[in-house]
Amino acid sequence: MSEPIDSEMGEAGGAPTRRLVLALGAAAASTVVTIRPALAQTAGSVLNCEIPVPAPQAGAGNFIAADGSLVPAGTAGAYPPLARPLKGEEVKAMLNGGRVPAGVNAEAAQAYANYIRRLQAGMSGFTCYASLQMPR
Amino acid sequence: MAAFLYAADPPETIRMVDLEGLTLLYHRRSGLTHILAPPAPQILAALAAGPAGAAEIIARIGAVFEVEADDPAAAIAARLAELEAAGLVWRT
Repeated sequence: MSEPIDSEMGEAGGAPTRRLVLALGAAAASTVVTIRPALAQTAGSVLNCEIPVPAPQAGAGNFIAADGSLVPAGTAGAYPPLARPLKGEEVKAMLNGGRVPAGVNAEAAQAYANYIRRLQAGMSGFTCYASLQMPR
Repeated sequence: MAAFLYAADPPETIRMVDLEGLTLLYHRRSGLTHILAPPAPQILAALAAGPAGAAEIIARIGAVFEVEADDPAAAIAARLAELEAAGLVWRT
């Protein structure tokens, strides 16, 4: 019934060459909105987030010195990386009350706590740590 | 162009849902949810192939899309800064 619509396939029936356009946006535009825990948090999602010690991108094999800085593996007085990431709940208890996570000795825990306090934006675990600092 | 390489968490550590042009991203490790507009999801997709510098990211996106920007270098730097601030990418 209706008039045939000109095909976008173009002449010769070739595959369409048009590709989707993706605008990168202006430098001042914003493309990321983070829903903060006060809004997003239900049932303790923040307390279940994880902080690897140290962050893989910071050098997974490095040891952690007492002040929280990363030093080469085997450095005297420094502590080995944790075999498992710490849960947000463990970190909160450790930072606030000094409660040591299971399987971690007290001196090492202090070094790990210092490492976590020094986390910066962009490092694994930072968002988790930042979330723990927010008022609930 | 900056010499930094950017990396993102592997795709299996995040959950993405498309919402009519926007993307909802749940970051399992932090427990945070982010709302992304293009080209942020495409940048993360480009980084799924491994760490890359800004120019390489534009090239990877350009393999799939017609990239449009007055100043691609400035635009991609701004997008990467946003993703970095959100903890979704980091410099290696």
